[in-house]
Amino acid sequence: MYGTLSKSETLWPVFIVIAGLLLPFFANNYQLYLGCVLIVYVVLALGLDIIMGRAGQFAFSHIAFYGIGAYATAILQQRFGVPFPIGLVIAVLLSAGIAWLVAMASVRLRHIYLGLATVAFASAAQWLAQTWKGVTGGVDGMRLQPSDMIFFTSRTDASNFRILAVILAIMLLLNFLLIRSRLGRAMAAIRDSEHVASVSGIDVRRTKAWAFVISSAYACVGGGMLVVFNSFIDPMNFTFAPAVLLLTMLVVGGMGSVAGVVIGSLTMGILPEILRSTMGDFIVWQEFVYGLILVLSITLMPQGIWGLVRNRTESKRSAT
Amino acid sequence: MSTTLALIIISGIATGSVYALIALSIVIVYKSSEAVNFAAGEVVMVGAYIALFFIVSTSVPYWLIFPIVAIGTFAIGAAFERAAIVPIIRRMSARENPLIPIVIATFGLSLMLKGIVRVIPYTEQVRSLPPLVRGAPIRIGDVMILRADLAIVVISVLFILGFWIFFTRTLLGRALQASSQNPLCAQLSGIPVARMRMIVWGIAGLMAGVCGVLVGPKLGLTPDMGGVIMVALAAAVIGGFSNLPGSIVGGFTIGVLQNLIGYWFGSETIAVAPFIMIMVVLVLRPQGLFGGPVHVKKV
Repeated sequence: MYGTLSKSETLWPVFIVIAGLLLPFFANNYQLYLGCVLIVYVVLALGLDIIMGRAGQFAFSHIAFYGIGAYATAILQQRFGVPFPIGLVIAVLLSAGIAWLVAMASVRLRHIYLGLATVAFASAAQWLAQTWKGVTGGVDGMRLQPSDMIFFTSRTDASNFRILAVILAIMLLLNFLLIRSRLGRAMAAIRDSEHVASVSGIDVRRTKAWAFVISSAYACVGGGMLVVFNSFIDPMNFTFAPAVLLLTMLVVGGMGSVAGVVIGSLTMGILPEILRSTMGDFIVWQEFVYGLILVLSITLMPQGIWGLVRNRTESKRSAT
Repeated sequence: MSTTLALIIISGIATGSVYALIALSIVIVYKSSEAVNFAAGEVVMVGAYIALFFIVSTSVPYWLIFPIVAIGTFAIGAAFERAAIVPIIRRMSARENPLIPIVIATFGLSLMLKGIVRVIPYTEQVRSLPPLVRGAPIRIGDVMILRADLAIVVISVLFILGFWIFFTRTLLGRALQASSQNPLCAQLSGIPVARMRMIVWGIAGLMAGVCGVLVGPKLGLTPDMGGVIMVALAAAVIGGFSNLPGSIVGGFTIGVLQNLIGYWFGSETIAVAPFIMIMVVLVLRPQGLFGGPVHVKKV
C-alpha cells in the first residue's frame, strides 16, 4: 500500500478528466445534472470514508462542513465577487480551521463521545443556517448566480459538469496519495487498534485530528461543487437526511476502499431515479426502503457490495 | 420569583421528566451494547402514533393505551435486536468494536420507522393526543399548575421508580444488570446474556414508546418528532452517559434549562440549547456533571 501510486491509481484520474470533458457531447442536460449530483456524492463519500473507513472514527459532522463549504463559496462569490476557485480555497481553509477547533475539542473523546459531539455540532450548524437570515437567507435559501471561473463564466450544464469532473479527478488523486502516505498508514493503524498504534509511536490524537480536518475539507469541497451547478441552496440540503444518505453510501459500497465508496455513492445516487420510474405509487415508501437497505447492508454485507465482489473473485482464484 | 418564571420552571419539570425517561432508554442500551440508539426518538414517535391510532379508531380507555403502546414498542426494540444487533455482534471478533455498525443500524431503523409512519393516513395533519387528565389548574398561591403537567410528572416518576425496583429488586432485573456490567461472568453464572440483551432493547423501546404517549399531548405529532432525541442525548451527556441516576437529573435539568433559555434569549434558542449543552459538557467534563472520574477501560 505504501509508496508511489500504482498505474491504475494514476490512470483513473486521467480517465475521469477525459471522460468528463467528452461526456457532455453525448449526454442531455438532465443526465449531466444527475452526473453532477453523483460527482458531488462521490467527493463527499470519499471524504467521509477518510474519517470513518480509514481512521475508524464515528463522525457525523460531515454534513455541517458540506454546508459551510456551500455557504462560504456562495457568499464569497455573490456578495464579494470572489471568483469560484479562489473562493473555494478560502472556504476550504475556513472549514479546515473550524474542523481543527472541533477536532482539538473532541479527539480526546473516545468512541461514542466523538460521535455525539459531532452530531451536536452538525445540528447546531444546521440551526445556524436556518436562523442566521442576514447571512444565509434562512429557510428561504439563497439564489445563486453562474460561477465565475476567472477565465470564463460557467453557465451551461456541460461546462458545470466538466468543472466538477476535473475537481473529482483532483480529489481522487489526493485521496490515493493520502492513503499511501505516512498519515494514511497511521490512520489505518489507529482504526485497527489505538493501543497498538500508540505503542508503535503513532500520535493517536494528532492522527485523528488530521483525519478529521482532511475529511471535513473534502466535505467543504463538495459544498463548493454544489454551488457550481445549482441555482439555489437552502438549509434543507444539510439536514440529517442527506447525512444518513452519505452513511448509507459507505455501508452499501464498502467502507475503507475507494472502489467500494464510489460504487456505493453511484448506487445510492442513482437509486432514487430507478425508484421513481419503477415504484410508481409506492414512491411514498422511499424512506422506508432506504432504512431497510441500510439495516440489511450493515447486517448482511459488512464489507458492502465491493466486499462481496472481492470475496467472490478471491474464492474463485483460490479454487482454480 | 415571579409567577411566569415559576410557571416556566414547572412546565420544564414536566417535559424534563419525559426527557429523563428517554435518556434512561438510551443509557440502558448504551450500558448493554456500548452503542447509542439513535432510533430512540423515532420509537417515541411511533409510541405516540400507536396511541393516536387507538384513541381515534377505538374507544379504549386512556389508561389502557399505556400497556398497548408498551407491548408494541417493546416488540419493536426486541425484534430489532434479534434482526440487526445479533448478526452484527456475531460476526465481530472480540477485539473489534461493533459501535459503528450498531449505530448505523439504528439510523436505518429510524428511517424505517419514519418511513412507515409517513405512509399511514394519520400524518396528513399535525395532531396532538388529548391531555392525560382534564380539570381546572391547581393553584398554589399565585402559581397555577396544570393537571396535565402534574400527571406527566407523576406517571414518569412512577415509571422511573418501577424500573428502579425492577432493575435492583427482581431476579430478571439483576440478571440484566449483571450481563451489562460483566457479560463474561454473567454468562459463567448461567445468565443467558444474549437473551438479556434482547430484553434490554425491548425495555428501552418500551420506555421510549411510553414517552411518546406522555409528550403526545404537549407536542404536535409529526413523523419528525423523533428530533426530541437530541434533548434526551443532552440529558444523558449531562448525566455522564452511563450513569442512570445522572441521566434522570440530567433530564430534569435540561427540561428546566431549555425553558429558561427560551424565556431569556427568545424562543428560537430553545432548539439549539441541547446541542450547545452537549458540546460544552463533552469538552469541559466528558464524564458528565455528576459522573466520577473517567473510567479507563482495560484492554
